[in-house]
Amino acid sequence: MSALLDRPVYGPREDGEFLSEMEQLTLHHLAGCKLYKQIWRGWQSGGGVAGLPFLHVGLFKRLLFCTDGLAHERILQSSSTISSQPSQIILDKISSQLQSRSALAILKDFVGERKRPLLILDDSKSLRQRGTVSARMAAALSLSPLATSMHFLLADAGRPESMKWDDLRSALAANREFLIYGSTWLLWLSWGAGSMPEDIRRQLQSKRIHFVHSGGWKKLEHLRVNREEFDTRLTRELQPGSGVVDYYGLVEQVGVIYPLCEHGFRHVPIWADVLVRDPYTLQAVEDQIGQIQLMNTLAHGAPYHSVLSEDVGSIISGPCPCGRSGKRFELLGRIPQAEVRGCANV
Amino acid sequence: MCKHLHRFSSFRGAVVVSLPFDLDELIGAWSGLRSSMRKAVPNEFSRDEWAYLINFLSPEQLKRPYYEAFGAPADADGKVSGLARPRGTVAVWLPNNVSLLGPLTLILLTLTGNRLLLKGGSRSDDLTGAFLNFCRAHLTDGTLQELLERQVQYEIFQRGDERQAAMVEEADVRVVFGSEEAAAVIHSSGNPVKSIGFSFVDRQSQVWIEPEAASDEVLRNLIQVFAIYGQAGCTSPRRVVILEGTERQARQLRDRVLALWPEVLRLKPSMHIASANTLALQWAEASGWDAAAAANRAAVIGIGPISLEPIDSPLFLPISSSSLKNAIEHLPANIQTLGHAFVAPSDVRWLEIAASTKIKRLVPLARMHHFGPLWDGEHFWRQCFEEVEVDL
Repeated sequence: MSALLDRPVYGPREDGEFLSEMEQLTLHHLAGCKLYKQIWRGWQSGGGVAGLPFLHVGLFKRLLFCTDGLAHERILQSSSTISSQPSQIILDKISSQLQSRSALAILKDFVGERKRPLLILDDSKSLRQRGTVSARMAAALSLSPLATSMHFLLADAGRPESMKWDDLRSALAANREFLIYGSTWLLWLSWGAGSMPEDIRRQLQSKRIHFVHSGGWKKLEHLRVNREEFDTRLTRELQPGSGVVDYYGLVEQVGVIYPLCEHGFRHVPIWADVLVRDPYTLQAVEDQIGQIQLMNTLAHGAPYHSVLSEDVGSIISGPCPCGRSGKRFELLGRIPQAEVRGCANV
Repeated sequence: MCKHLHRFSSFRGAVVVSLPFDLDELIGAWSGLRSSMRKAVPNEFSRDEWAYLINFLSPEQLKRPYYEAFGAPADADGKVSGLARPRGTVAVWLPNNVSLLGPLTLILLTLTGNRLLLKGGSRSDDLTGAFLNFCRAHLTDGTLQELLERQVQYEIFQRGDERQAAMVEEADVRVVFGSEEAAAVIHSSGNPVKSIGFSFVDRQSQVWIEPEAASDEVLRNLIQVFAIYGQAGCTSPRRVVILEGTERQARQLRDRVLALWPEVLRLKPSMHIASANTLALQWAEASGWDAAAAANRAAVIGIGPISLEPIDSPLFLPISSSSLKNAIEHLPANIQTLGHAFVAPSDVRWLEIAASTKIKRLVPLARMHHFGPLWDGEHFWRQCFEEVEVDL
């Protein structure tokens, strides 16, 4: 199962091997998933990576895909909003193992391999849900192999101000280096912009911390916080070597995350690929902005191995000054939405 | 104070309508506004919407409600059998995703001489407000400008606002566009005993086409009617039924619509529409529809049996072939408009269908979106007048 995972995450790309694994995975899902086959019944291999079938990301909010032949364990659920249903991804044991290895390999490249306490800006309630796991919790737990211990710092994830300061004091007293994970808006509201007790502020001056966050900036738009201010506020009083890693990832691509490199780009692991498609023709384009398609060789339990996102971006050619080789892209945000007008059907 | 008497003649005899303005002057002012409207489209409106409004303001269109309600204009002589006068205050509730219904209702109701209170949707693109602003900016002194200033009050407020109760209390006529729940609340909140109310709630529409009547012109009209609001409009076709047709004929018709699409609609949709239609295409296929996308992913058209539930996607148009009997059986309970393309529209069986089903409008498909004084089974415009029996 995905021999590519045994190689360096941003090493030289083996596109032939990637394509071969993706084609096998596609045939596996066509044989085992009825819904997938109804959509892609006419597909034949031979069209290269751009010819691989994909599912629009919105389908996972409307249909539950499942490929026969694997033991399905839990359902991974994105956070739902008022206007939309959550995405639901069926997780299986084999894929989960591959996804954990993938996420760990990517994160190590950005935060190092040292184990240290993991502080999670969330509450522990969603850990106790049976049968489902939230995307936010899955993101936090992807860091667990790098953790010596885990501490949930919020009493209530719906209230960023519910920080358990005493728990944080105890954790800080016992260690010098930390990983901290939070979704972008929670990290900002509870830590970056939160009112922190003075004694904890003093304690932090002797600590080295890597903050890891994901989930996007939409909930912070009204606060007009930019990335520079965000990063500076988090790290300004910490020891050198501290940093902030902002990564992009979809629930529908669990296990493959795209941290922003020091030069503002997202790098593609060798077991994944990214295409940009013209939203009108769906042709893959190299030199223009379009809709981002994300692929990986890890998803066996359901056909979420190739997903057309609702995000826009562009592929960037040439080597990146950060030194990582392989493909890279720039994420520009969500496809702009507009209100649908009708008449009296409210 | 009503000081202008306008006489109309119907089969019942002459009816005099008493208005606070000269009707011809008001209609002249509305239609005169069109010269300013032709020069620029306000940002809030699409070109199609603005063009529809310009057409709606033609003198012929504006006179139509009077002719339909009271008959043709008549001379001052002769026996008078009735008098109509404005009821007083008409309150209108417009929902959040309302389109042109706001401006159209405003225009129609100004013709009645009533004082108007309008509440706009609190989360929507505000076409009524935008249209009123345009009118106020472009009208010179005169009857219409004065009427809009003094007799029309337009406000946007949230649910629970105390202005809601005031609107209800003041209204002699309540016109509610929105959900059944919203209408029920408004019509049961301390209304004056003698007031009357109209509810234009959640409705859906269909198109019925006989294969022999499916000319290119009919299909062009179908594209235009559907593309404006897709599934979101209460007068938009949620389904096209090919009457007494075969699945093959449905597929052929779909392919002809797809071929005509770029000729009728040349502009690319916005990127999120194209993406939503990529989703719709896959969702429809997974749900059992034989689906195909229009040029530039502007819409998705699916072929499937009439019993197959359409997917809930704004620009998905399902086409089903069906017997007439089956089509009638599958009409939704909240059917409003049946847009038709029949070989012989005057055939009495269509009238029998109108009589025996719950449809509220049976019109050529090109007229599906045409809003008028008779709406959803109610002659609401005429009932904005109180009618006095006279024998003079």
